[in-house]
Amino acid sequence: MDHRIVITGIGVVTPIGTGCEGFWRNLLAGYSGIAPVQSFDTSGYNVHRGAEVKEFNAKEYTLNLDAAHLGRASQFAIAASRLALADAGVEIRSIDLKRAGVSMGTTSGEPREVERFDDSYVSKDLGRIGPEFLSLYPCHVIAAHVASELHFAGVNTMIPTACAAGNYAIAHALDVLRAGRADLMLAGGSDAFSRITFTGFARLGAVAPEICQPFDRFRKGMIPAEGAGVLVLESLSRARKRGARIYAEVAGYGLSCDAHHMTAAHPQGDGAARAMQQALADSRTEPEEVSYISAHGTGTPTNDRLETIAVKRLFKDAAYRIPISSIKSMLGHTMGAASAIEAAVCALAVFHDCVPPTINLNEPDPDCDLDYVPNYARRLRVNVAMNNAYAFGGNNASLILRKWELSN
Amino acid sequence: MMRNRVVITGMSVVSALGDSPARLYASLCEGRSGIKPVRGFSTAGLGCPLGGEIADFDAANYLGQRNLRPLDRTSRLVASAAQLALEDSGWSADVRKGDEVGLVLGTMFCSVHTISEFDRRALEAGPAYASPMDFSNTVINAAAGQTAIVHDLRGVNTTISTGVTSGLAAIAYATDLIRSGRAHALLAGGADELCFESFYGFDRAGLLCRSDNCAGDFPIPFDARRNGSALGEGAALLMLEDAALARKRGARVLGEVRGHGASYDCSRGHDDKESVEAVAYAIRQALHDAFMLPNEIDCLSASANGSELGDRHEAYGVFAGLNGQTHRLPVTAVKSMLGETLGASGPMQTVALLETMRDGVLPGIPQLETIEDGFPLEMARAESQEAEVINGLINSVGLDGHCCSLILSQCDR
Repeated sequence: MDHRIVITGIGVVTPIGTGCEGFWRNLLAGYSGIAPVQSFDTSGYNVHRGAEVKEFNAKEYTLNLDAAHLGRASQFAIAASRLALADAGVEIRSIDLKRAGVSMGTTSGEPREVERFDDSYVSKDLGRIGPEFLSLYPCHVIAAHVASELHFAGVNTMIPTACAAGNYAIAHALDVLRAGRADLMLAGGSDAFSRITFTGFARLGAVAPEICQPFDRFRKGMIPAEGAGVLVLESLSRARKRGARIYAEVAGYGLSCDAHHMTAAHPQGDGAARAMQQALADSRTEPEEVSYISAHGTGTPTNDRLETIAVKRLFKDAAYRIPISSIKSMLGHTMGAASAIEAAVCALAVFHDCVPPTINLNEPDPDCDLDYVPNYARRLRVNVAMNNAYAFGGNNASLILRKWELSN
Repeated sequence: MMRNRVVITGMSVVSALGDSPARLYASLCEGRSGIKPVRGFSTAGLGCPLGGEIADFDAANYLGQRNLRPLDRTSRLVASAAQLALEDSGWSADVRKGDEVGLVLGTMFCSVHTISEFDRRALEAGPAYASPMDFSNTVINAAAGQTAIVHDLRGVNTTISTGVTSGLAAIAYATDLIRSGRAHALLAGGADELCFESFYGFDRAGLLCRSDNCAGDFPIPFDARRNGSALGEGAALLMLEDAALARKRGARVLGEVRGHGASYDCSRGHDDKESVEAVAYAIRQALHDAFMLPNEIDCLSASANGSELGDRHEAYGVFAGLNGQTHRLPVTAVKSMLGETLGASGPMQTVALLETMRDGVLPGIPQLETIEDGFPLEMARAESQEAEVINGLINSVGLDGHCCSLILSQCDR
């Protein structure tokens, strides 16, 4: 049994590109995927923009199941999984399928199915909703559909810890592999653009009218988005034996709960700092070793201020030397997929020694006075990347990725 | 790899058959059913009028006079069960300082009712009238988050959602966190509420028992006449702890989690061979994880809920997973009386089995007359039976292919 677990494949479906290469290129170039919402009519709202995945053809990736009878989050998850396996050079024929598992995160599961239910209920035509509701709606179907599509018969877990779910799912996959319960895990997150989510964030007054400007003095909020990110995780020894390209080692993680408020973070960043602290301890990383932090960075006035407090609370003076960026400035907030996509970004940063920018960052905020890599990607040696995610329910998760050549 | 032993130091249930493990167990042993006509919503136009509903549930009985308005029914069930399990384990609020205790909750829907109501209000009255407070409960980790706030649980807080197996998978997840030293004490279990939205889904999917059947109104697991399950509701939590630390604080130990295993049936119940093998594989993994042999298992708490296919796959899967050693294996299926409580089901089975370990009586399967021809489970009985259980196997078999098995042991053996 090998304790060291590495990332050998990356698959993403995002508003700025599907597939690892195009996505990374657009990310470094600072592209934005934010545009007027197309999936439903927003005329009853006071905000109208989101980041949706365009020109996505589920049939390209869904070879065994019928894509037309899958929810959108399942379609994304299957596409990202196929892309990740191809990127890893894993041939499904070559693996022991009982030792291949899936660990996925989500905020809402397949919300469009319940929206369809609600439309029918409100128009007193519930008879339109048939047996498919139960087989398409519950959030576990995302991991189930991925496994059925790929014939993965091992551990199958769905972790719906809202906006930190991707990190939780990757952390779980790490434990499953370390415990010897599987040889290969697909781990990540998926969420589809949803009326329910959009309505909720709009009602909280959290949605920005135009753009997402994390850490900017005049930031006005987050932008709802959709997408999926999936990583191929396997042991270092297995990866080396098959001559796989290794992006990074998943060195450790930390989880905590604020137990403070359902939607607001702890005012002193207590839970966030504890999750980071545990991730460092778990991966035997000294704070000064951290080369890059992928921020939760939603772009709401409160989140970015408190996140800055939490980073300073933990890293003290070193906080000022660590480049931090929020890719939500470009993608918007892809919910349960966000931290999975951000973990992919951390892996790419470690592999390429380059970090993406926080775009739309023009006016420094005295409360956010760290180095947020404003507007331009930066080349730097990335030995250790920390991926932070915070969620409704006070669920915090931090993940540490490092260059696999540097063993601790 | 060194691993910490994981023991159970407390437990709780809030169920249609009582709000304590003792009351639940007494009802199960007497063969009393909690399945009755549903009162909480109208079942007019649906095929099944029955459910395992908790009558007159009032969270204030457990949580006292605090503001419960932000908590929906599922959150109230979990917060109430957490109160009971914290007390039962000795981890009550006065002895905790901060992040000693975490929560791992299994739930299939959390609250699809809350989600749906939030959306319907926006549809009917306009988005500006949707409630921000309800929105915070539309996330599937809402019940775990709300419970953490009520009880100040600042340790690990994870929600697992794998359908029927959610609760048992949550116990398995928590077990691994304690084994590897990531946590020392975790509340682990599950919950789901009975609500119109999920009931409608199960009814339309043809999974609920039909009351026009000659077999009567109950789901009858493993019986040849079974024609579906009944939906139930509730919450059940276990306090899992690192054995060494539990001993150090002088905690009473109810049992030990010896091992667990999981698998996935890619055919999602459509291919008998694959489905049976998935059940068997999860059991073999659990035995392997517990360093145990099939003949060391003294009892099975089955997932069977009266479903035509699910029960069959489980019956043959257990036979295969235990290498054919099921002829003298006492079997219980508590969903015959509780209904299918989804996320709560595995933890409720766990609570009931811990009571059996202590008391020596295994609940029967009421109305069981004729086990389906060929099912290799000769020791399934309508009446409760005496059983000395040292090592018990708990199964959870889902609708969408998820399988989870867990092995519990008496601790002083």
